[in-house]
Amino acid sequence: MQDSAHILQSQVNDAVTEQRALAICGGGSKQFYGRQVSHDRLDTRIHTGITEYAPTELVLTARAGTPLAEIEATLLQKDQMLGCEPPLFGEYATFGGMLAAGLSGPSRPYRAAVQDTVLGCTILNGNGEILRFGGKVMKNVAGYDVSRLMVGSLGCLGVILEATVKVVPRSPAELTVAFTIGRDKAGALVNDMRRRGLPVTADCHDGDRLLVRFSAGDKEVARLPVQLDRHYSFVDWHRYEDDAFWSQLKNHELPFFTEGRDIWRLSVPAAADISSLIGNAHDVLTEWGGCLHWLKTEASAESVFTVMDACNGHASLFRQEVRGASDQVFQPLPDWHMTWHRRLKTAFDPAGILNPGRMYAGL
Amino acid sequence: MAEAGIRTRLLQSLKTILAPQYILATEEQLKPFECDGLSVYRELPMLAVLPCNTGEVCSILALCHELGVPVVTRGAGTGLSAGAKPHPQGLLLVLTRLNRILGIDPDAMTARVQPGVRNLAISEAASVHGLFYAPDPSSQIACSIGGNIAENAGGVHCLKYGLTVHNVLQLHGFNARGEPVTVGSGGLDSAGFNLQPLIIGSEGMLMVVTEITVKLLPLPQEVEVMLAAFDSVDAAGQAVSDIIAAGVIPGGLEMMDNNAICAAEDYAHAGYPRDAAAILLIEIDGSPANVQEQLQATREVLKHSGATSLKVAGSPEERALYWKGRKSAFPAVGRISPDYYCMDGTIPRSALAGVLNYIDSLSREYGFAVANVFHAGDGNLHPLILFDANIEGQLEAVEEMGGRILEKCIEVGGTITGEHGVGLEKIRQMPLQFTDAEIAQFHRVKEALDPDNLLNPGKNIPLLKHCQEYRALAADIEPNRLLPRLGQGQ
Repeated sequence: MQDSAHILQSQVNDAVTEQRALAICGGGSKQFYGRQVSHDRLDTRIHTGITEYAPTELVLTARAGTPLAEIEATLLQKDQMLGCEPPLFGEYATFGGMLAAGLSGPSRPYRAAVQDTVLGCTILNGNGEILRFGGKVMKNVAGYDVSRLMVGSLGCLGVILEATVKVVPRSPAELTVAFTIGRDKAGALVNDMRRRGLPVTADCHDGDRLLVRFSAGDKEVARLPVQLDRHYSFVDWHRYEDDAFWSQLKNHELPFFTEGRDIWRLSVPAAADISSLIGNAHDVLTEWGGCLHWLKTEASAESVFTVMDACNGHASLFRQEVRGASDQVFQPLPDWHMTWHRRLKTAFDPAGILNPGRMYAGL
Repeated sequence: MAEAGIRTRLLQSLKTILAPQYILATEEQLKPFECDGLSVYRELPMLAVLPCNTGEVCSILALCHELGVPVVTRGAGTGLSAGAKPHPQGLLLVLTRLNRILGIDPDAMTARVQPGVRNLAISEAASVHGLFYAPDPSSQIACSIGGNIAENAGGVHCLKYGLTVHNVLQLHGFNARGEPVTVGSGGLDSAGFNLQPLIIGSEGMLMVVTEITVKLLPLPQEVEVMLAAFDSVDAAGQAVSDIIAAGVIPGGLEMMDNNAICAAEDYAHAGYPRDAAAILLIEIDGSPANVQEQLQATREVLKHSGATSLKVAGSPEERALYWKGRKSAFPAVGRISPDYYCMDGTIPRSALAGVLNYIDSLSREYGFAVANVFHAGDGNLHPLILFDANIEGQLEAVEEMGGRILEKCIEVGGTITGEHGVGLEKIRQMPLQFTDAEIAQFHRVKEALDPDNLLNPGKNIPLLKHCQEYRALAADIEPNRLLPRLGQGQ
């Protein structure tokens, strides 16, 4: 546990004075994500420690450089967890990296997104000022919600120093079931299960079958097979014994992710038609009840972005294995939207020294 | 241009946009719009308009931008922080006629609605599909979803289902120039910065929202409501922590103290025990198996937490009655006192007993009775201070006492507003929760999205030049207490 906020602050101040851009970096586990930049490193791993954990308040506060693994282990001792089930992408992922990347795991539609868990945060803006927004309580509407704005901003608006998040109880029991059903019918099936009150906490279609995870109390989980038989006798289903599947999915350790091809992340409405982008059914993994697709395609970035614009979704070139470092990683923004982004960037980082170019060129 | 000249030009141009009956210009017409739910703050707007579609909203905003006229957007006017108080040189943009539910998609579990749709109307329309919209402020029968967006409204089910910010997927609307703006996406996240949470709760100061896509949830198959009585508020507060520690997340978890219990019981005849120091209302919802498991766990906890009585509602009617008592607590208190002032601080639950004792000591010091209702699950206090505004000096004294309650909330690590917003009401407490550097950052955010400061100017964020004055006033009232963040980072 080490409080190094003032060291980071002086490093930012020096960078402002010298007009030198900084690449904010924690464990480096998501270095591959976003546009590649080569600025001087600002290493948040010197700022560590869980500063407060109150299990009965369902609240945890930690410094940005704290390893996520340490936070998850601490929560586990009290049968609690982060509802957003963040990917680790390696053993060095930090709490600050989880917030700055804003990537949520398989439970996102059913438990929480990263931004949903955030109650407050302390940041270092591009003027070298240490600022605190939000708080440590569940409800807080004083001032603008800067804390949640920070989530997913890839460090372009500020260095996250510390944050308070809401945690949730772990479910005592889990069961994963594989349904033999096509992708086109999978979303409706998951939807139906939710509406029957079945405790769905994750889903994934791999081209052949739909895996669904249920999480609840022991008795409720024990009764699930009977309920599945009763309501879904028209589908072949069986218990899926590989408990590691969901962590392999969120951490991209499944073979799907390790074949050395470019991988796109498509975030879309559940009913979006992305068929024009799909060559082979096994080149897509679908999560979040149809709202998230991982896609392997050689289609041009422009064509992917065009399909996304048409369906009110957005795409990012998540893993750039073949194309190499691409400039076009994230869905291009309309002009007005980019204007707001530039103006917000200037509001937080007038000298433009915090992760410039990591998200969009010129930002 | 002189003010009268601007008014004339604005009025002339508005007549080319709207039918004359939807342009309000006389004092008689404007009077009903002089305040929101916090009626101690009143002001007549220069003009008011009631557009019926987004095209009209767009034209009105472009016109106001051209003339440099401030715009205050108003929904149902149920807000409790004067966030919708009109601007005397500004236009009041009333969105109650944009009241259509544009579509419900039961497969995607979403609804597209206009801002004037009442909160409860969304759940009513969704119920035929077995769905509901979760945030349910006590004013849900009247308040509009647009106002909910402006204030990031909460309700009694936030601990489990979240606030407005957790239940909205996409917002369409206009910036201060009248240019179309969309934040969020059709999916579960969006490209670029996460702007939606910045807009939600921004009190109409960053954009005007004209269409909202909300997330709907399946109606729980089973609901049980327990009523537990305690002979001290400390014991009730401890029971709340014990329930959470047992891994139970109730759908709703509310506390009322004796003054609130008696007022609600007299009004709603809900079956509350009038002799209890505090009651907890605990709603457990979900699938039948889950509800029974959690109900049993909660019973065990309450037995050990010193509950003096414990009842589970035996029928849907009784369940509705238990909730009626709680949801009508404000009007119930309104019956026993000429006026009441509703506070909205949030605290860590562990600080509950200390804060309630402090409120009790203020109640004696100022001579005003206080009834406490409390979203116990998420630490959101609603002390209702009873007074008579017709007695000279009482309103000022109540505002001072309320300010001290909010300062206590900050001192114990909480906030000055959980769900009602800052508006004008709590603007003097903002510098106690935030440093000058933080407030300056808020102003830069406002300037980034509304460079001409035309959208609801003067609310939510105090001017920096007033911050020291507000802090000094707070210190004068209670000189012995060092406010936690006073003097930091100036």
